[in-house]
Amino acid sequence: MSGMDTSNEILVGVAELKTGKGPQVIKTNLGSCVAVCLYAPAQQAGGMLHFMMAKAPTDVDAKAVKKAKYADTGVDELISQLKGLFGVADGDIQAKIFGGAKVLKEVTHNIGYNNEVAARAILRDRNIPIVSSKTGGERGYKIEFNLGTGKVRCQIFGEEIKEY
Amino acid sequence: MSDQSRINNAITLIARLSIDKSSRTLSKFVRAGARIELERAYVVDVSDATKVIAHGESEVVGALVSLTGDAPFKFLFFVGLKDSFLLADLILRRPLGTTTGFDLYASSAVQEIGNVLATSISNVFATDFQIVMKSTPPMVLHDYAETLFEEYILEAAAEKNELFIIETKFFVVEHNINCHMFIVPLHGSEEVLSSIANRM
Repeated sequence: MSGMDTSNEILVGVAELKTGKGPQVIKTNLGSCVAVCLYAPAQQAGGMLHFMMAKAPTDVDAKAVKKAKYADTGVDELISQLKGLFGVADGDIQAKIFGGAKVLKEVTHNIGYNNEVAARAILRDRNIPIVSSKTGGERGYKIEFNLGTGKVRCQIFGEEIKEY
Repeated sequence: MSDQSRINNAITLIARLSIDKSSRTLSKFVRAGARIELERAYVVDVSDATKVIAHGESEVVGALVSLTGDAPFKFLFFVGLKDSFLLADLILRRPLGTTTGFDLYASSAVQEIGNVLATSISNVFATDFQIVMKSTPPMVLHDYAETLFEEYILEAAAEKNELFIIETKFFVVEHNINCHMFIVPLHGSEEVLSSIANRM
């Protein structure tokens, strides 16, 4: 799931989190999943969580839970790794969130929206400010998180690239 | 051999039989030689699953179908955007090059291929294994390949951290059209697959 990758381009899959330092760039693609990008400007360090669902199950052994699959366990794991690997303190971290689209229009259950709501609630609870976001819609997202600048380039399918 | 390996072998057998049927049906449907090959069958961590899709065709059109019944499955058929135009022309018997943008025809072509494949797979379950399966109408999506694949595996990945994936490639030979199909068994299919494995 985790850890610091030393290559310049870091690819994050579904239910995965990765951390790194500038000038590394972390990339992912999203549909109804949400990416939480945490950044500590002073250290030029950050990480991305690409989670699938809002809450980890409570009826299974915690060790069997893939933390990065869920918003609640994934955000805490990402914060913990940033602290452990880069000495980031609580007040240093800011967040940007992306994704949460409703790609499957025929499906009534809106997983994407639930994921977005969960991400916002957990970050609020951990006192991490969300400095920008782009969420919702019905199309996929391609995002690139530059750890040198903290900027995120985001392209929604069929639209222009925008920077957040 | 472990129970899981035997189940995976059963799924691979079903896929092979389905591919044979699908190839014949699809060839008639597009009036060109369509060849479908089992590319690989593998178990992959959910986090690596979307990385396998990175093959250069960023903009794709896909049909997502669920097969419901005693052995629930999901499959995804997709093709690069420009190749979806050629498929539309072949199916509609129009001169190649008539379709130039993603429109109702291109969308319907991919949807119809989804239907053909769903019927072929359902027939394999019914005729070879006496298991009745129903397919949902194909959901057609035009998006990034990675986004399609993410939505496709979501249901299976909600239950498991590792997925068994069957990957096939199609070639509409005369026209050099490359398509992809993935099959993923869903939670609840183990019992039926296990009984098929026992008969093998």
